Order: sequence, then structure tokens, then C-alpha cells
Amino acid sequence: MLSFLEIAKRSETGPMAIADELGMKIAGIVTGLAKKYDIAYDPEVRVNTDDDLADRVWQAGRDLILEIGLYSINSRRQILFSEREVDEGLAAVRPEFTAGEGLDTALVYRRDVEDNRPPVIFGGPFNADVHQDMFVRLNEAFAGEPLIDLLLLPGYLKELDGIMIRPNSGLSTRAAMFYGRWAREAISRAGRPGLPIVGHAVMALNEVSSANEEWGLRSCDPRAFALISELQVDDVTLTRLAHYQAIGAPIYTSATPLIGGYGGGPVGTAIIGVAGHIGSVMLGSHVMHLGPQHIKYKQQTNAMSLWLGSVVKQAAARNSKMINTTSVTTSGRPGSMQYIYEFSALVLSVVPSGSNLTGPRPAEPLGWNNVSPLMCRLFAEVGHAATKIDRKEANRIADTLHEKYKDKIELKDAPKGLPFEKMYDVNTLQPNDEHWALYEKGKSELKELGVPLE
Amino acid sequence: MAEHEEILERMRASIVAADETEAMAAAEAALAAGIEPLTALEEGFAGAIRAQGEAFSNLDIFLPELVLSAKAMQAGVSVLEPALKAKGIDAARSGVVVIGTVEGDLHDIGKNIVVAMLRSAGYEVHDLGTDVPIPNFISVAEQTKADIIGLSALLSTTMLRQKDLIELLNLKKIREDFFVIVGGAPVTEAWMNEIGADGYGLDAHMAIEVLDSRTK
Repeated sequence: MLSFLEIAKRSETGPMAIADELGMKIAGIVTGLAKKYDIAYDPEVRVNTDDDLADRVWQAGRDLILEIGLYSINSRRQILFSEREVDEGLAAVRPEFTAGEGLDTALVYRRDVEDNRPPVIFGGPFNADVHQDMFVRLNEAFAGEPLIDLLLLPGYLKELDGIMIRPNSGLSTRAAMFYGRWAREAISRAGRPGLPIVGHAVMALNEVSSANEEWGLRSCDPRAFALISELQVDDVTLTRLAHYQAIGAPIYTSATPLIGGYGGGPVGTAIIGVAGHIGSVMLGSHVMHLGPQHIKYKQQTNAMSLWLGSVVKQAAARNSKMINTTSVTTSGRPGSMQYIYEFSALVLSVVPSGSNLTGPRPAEPLGWNNVSPLMCRLFAEVGHAATKIDRKEANRIADTLHEKYKDKIELKDAPKGLPFEKMYDVNTLQPNDEHWALYEKGKSELKELGVPLE
Repeated sequence: MAEHEEILERMRASIVAADETEAMAAAEAALAAGIEPLTALEEGFAGAIRAQGEAFSNLDIFLPELVLSAKAMQAGVSVLEPALKAKGIDAARSGVVVIGTVEGDLHDIGKNIVVAMLRSAGYEVHDLGTDVPIPNFISVAEQTKADIIGLSALLSTTMLRQKDLIELLNLKKIREDFFVIVGGAPVTEAWMNEIGADGYGLDAHMAIEVLDSRTK
């Protein structure tokens, strides 16, 4: 298996390429691969049930990563991999690992298609804008949700003391320290001091200053990285990787292929999604996150994304040992029934397809703290319930749910939702009556549709 | 006149087919047949590329097709340009735009879409790429006599740079020389108002609408 040092060297010595031209080259290649492997999108299908199709998508994605590799934006060079290196990388993937510490240690594991084990829940503010005044309390409420296995991305600290944070500034470094310190304080207050925290602070190199075993993010806390669309890495990502791999932190990497972008439609984008996962493995990642993003809707619960999520996760689950998860971002916002319909549809699409779960989050949060721990609970409950049904039944329910929100999928038309403070009593950290009622109503409707919730 | 319509249709088809060579050949045929260059531009290429832009907005076509159509349009317009200039018509009749993704941000797909759509809509575009320092936007805008500066930022941390540009323009006392449009996932109308930009685009289609309707 390639070492990170070798990856870093290739990013300095690989063949030079121009980003735009490489994007268009990817477009041409995936068009050819879709034909070669006879891959087609059926707009009536929300959850793929064709194993052979999933396997062909895997083969196409593997071909793509072998031809293109990853692209280092800053050095403008391709990081290429041989077939042998890719096979060795995939063979060396860990199917499970532990994160966090003590009684709160989480076992993070791969799932098969239609696996009856519960999905691992990565839940939290998911880097929505979180105000510093509410940072600890909001994360405490998330950490208090027992179905959350790992606290996910405690929130963007966009401002500190009313001043917007400039990347690479001293303020940014200080914010990263607070990010680590306050996340640790939150899990401690929630009574889960060993809960793993998936961290990605301030989006700049300064974020490494959030690392501190005593008061900040620990080496047992996974660190999140994002490939830039399509199949690109930058110096900040490689530098963070170098640091976190050296301290032994688990690596969580997202690939967010854009439906409508260089991959074209959902077929080409699915091929890029698989290639992104294999590329993430080559970078040394332990968790492969898919964000089935749509260029027009800017969210992940539209019909194409539902199909894409299911087929990419099945491709990866059936053909590798990698640990899969899928992010769930919606048009409707917390505090609305549409939010529940949307996250449930994507959960039903990907959990029977071998995925764990990340989210949920509104694609366009309105202002600060536009997330809800109680909705994350329902999200996790739907995820657990989805292990009791097969893909065919999941397809039926996901389709019914999709019908309920498809006409309000444009962000401007979607329900505005509420901030945390309007859904919770911030003193007791308990949902208010209206929010409980929404939860109960959502749960009841989902049961009526056939989701086998407890 | 039937011959003229046939040539104009050939020009339109070359854009839809994203065929650069055919676009250039059709433009040459148009001039040889005595079609007014502005007519060739408007009725031959511009309508077709606008239709491609709309098709992309509806996702009837995807980014690669749009980019290739825009390239075909550029190739065809390059043939018409001398004739347009001879008649005192500027091919970049809609405006001159300096655009890029701000410093610290390497995301380029959204910006690339806007670039393709702007070119489609008759703008002369100077694409500075990604991770562009703010002073570079201003120096290139001054060099190219641009009237529009477009700033893309995908991260809520990097959109602060959009504010920096406005402040720098004010400091240099050249704020009124440019229409400043901002865009990117975290950018909202409220942010546009807060920093004093002239417009914002939720997506490429909206960006073109904002620029086409500008009065500045």
C-alpha cells in the first residue's frame, strides 16, 4: 500500500495538467465508461436493486481512477496510481476501527448491502454555522442523543466575538482552539467524555491547533477531509492529512460528485463517486463519505441523488471492504415535516445499500444554529429501522416520500424551518412542545408508510 | 433569403452540436453570403447559446455540453469579430467581466459554469481561476477596462474576501467604476447588502439576469 509520503511526492512530480481541461477529460472518459459497461439511469428508481449494475458502476469507477488519479490543485499535477497499487490499497482497507475512548468508544464498521446491523450514526451540527454563544449547549444536546455514535463536525465558527474569521489569521487559529476546547466541554457536559468527535475546524491550516489530547481534539477523534469536485485535493488537505496520519487519527474523507457537473447526469456522476472513494482509500482514509450533490438543487434528496446514493454505496459495499457513509442534506429545514420526509427518503435509499449515516443538515441553513438534535434522533431511528427492510421495500417507501416533497425541492420554495433556540428550551436542553409534536407526527406518518420504527 | 436562413440555422446547429470547426465555417459562410455580422451574431449564435444556457438551467444538458457549446460560440464569434469591429460593433456588447474564486478557495466548478454562461450571453470574460488575491481582481479589471467584477466563494470562511474587495475599491476611490457581483454557496442577498456589493447570483442563471438588468 502506498505511504502518504509517496502520495505527497507524486503531488510534486506527477504529470502536469490544467484543471478545466482535466474536468472535460473526465467528462469524456465517463461517457465512454457508461457505454462500455452499459450503465443507465432509470428515473423511476429511487433505490437500486440490480446487483450487476452496481458491480458495473464499481468497475467503471475503478477504471476512471486508474486513468485520471487525483489532481493536486496547487501543484497542478496528477497523482496517478497503478492497477497493482489500487488493488493493494483496497486489500489493505480496514473494515472496522474504534474511535473515541473509554466507555464511549465507538466501533465504526463496514456494512453489507441489506445488512441487518445498525448503521453507525455520525450526527451533530455538521458544520452548519454555529454561534459561539450556543456552541457548547448545542453540541451538548447532540452529544446527549444516545443513538449518535460519533459527534459530527461541531459547527462552523464563522465569527469570534462578532468579527468574521479570516482563514490563516491569528483569529482563525484561536477559533480552531475554541472549536476543540468547546467540543470537548460539550461531550463532557453531556456525560459522554469519551465520545469521538469528527472534526474539521475553520477550513484552513490553522485548524491543526484544535488538536490537544488534554483539552482539544484527540488522536482518537476522526478528522474529516473533503475531496474537491471532481477528484481534486489541495495543499491544505494534504497538509492536514500529513499531520493527522502522523498522530494516528482516523481519517474520514468525503467525495461530493456533482450531478450535472463534469460527470454529466447521474450515471457519470456515480462513476466519479466510486472513483472518489477509491481515491480516498489511496489517501489512507478509513471512512468513505458520499455527498450525492446536485448542481441545480444544491442538495442531496432529489430523485437523481437518491438513485446515485444507493448505487454508489452498493458498488462500494459489494466490491470492497471500505467503510461507507452517506451525507444527508435537504432542502427543507429543521422544524418542518419536509425535513423529515427528505432525510428519511435518503436514509432508506442508502442504509439497505450498505451505508452508515452522516447528518442530517439543511443544504442552506438560514442563519445560526439551524439544526436539531431531536431530528437527528429520528434520522438515526429511521436508519435503524431501514435495516429491517429490503431494497425493494425501501424503494417503495422512498418513492412515496419523494412524491411528498419533490415540488418544493428548490431551496427558495422549501420550508424555512427554525433555529435551535426556537425548537428547544436552551436551559433544560429539551425540545419544546411544538418540536416534540413534530417529531411524533413525523414518526407516526413514517410508520403508516411502512417504516418499521420501534 | 432562404439561403440566409439556411446559413443561420447551420450556425445555430453548430452551437448545439458544440462543433467549433463547423461554427467557424458557418460564420465564414454567413459573411460570404452577405449576412450582416450583427444579424449573424444575434440570430445565428446568440439565440442558440442562450437556449443551451436555459437547457443547462433545466439540466436538459450538463456542464460539459455547455462548456463545449460556449467554446464553439467563441470560435464562431472570432470569425465575425473583424466584420463587427468594422461596423463599430463590439462583440463583447454585454460587458467585460473579470471573474475568479477568491483567495483561500479552490472550488471552481460553480465559477466555471458562470464563465460559460457569461460567454454565452455575449460578455467578454477574463477568468482569473481560483485562489485569486483580491488586488489581482482590481489590477486585471483596470487593465482590461472591465466594468464588472465577479467574486466566487464556496466557503463561509472565504466569502469574507468579497467584503475585502469592496473595501479596497472604496479605499482606492474606484468603487463606482465597477459593478461587483458575488456568488457561491454561502452567499445570500443579506450578505450582498451587508458588504455593499451590487448584485449576487444564487446560480449562474440568476447571475446573468442580474448583470443583464444592471444599470451601472
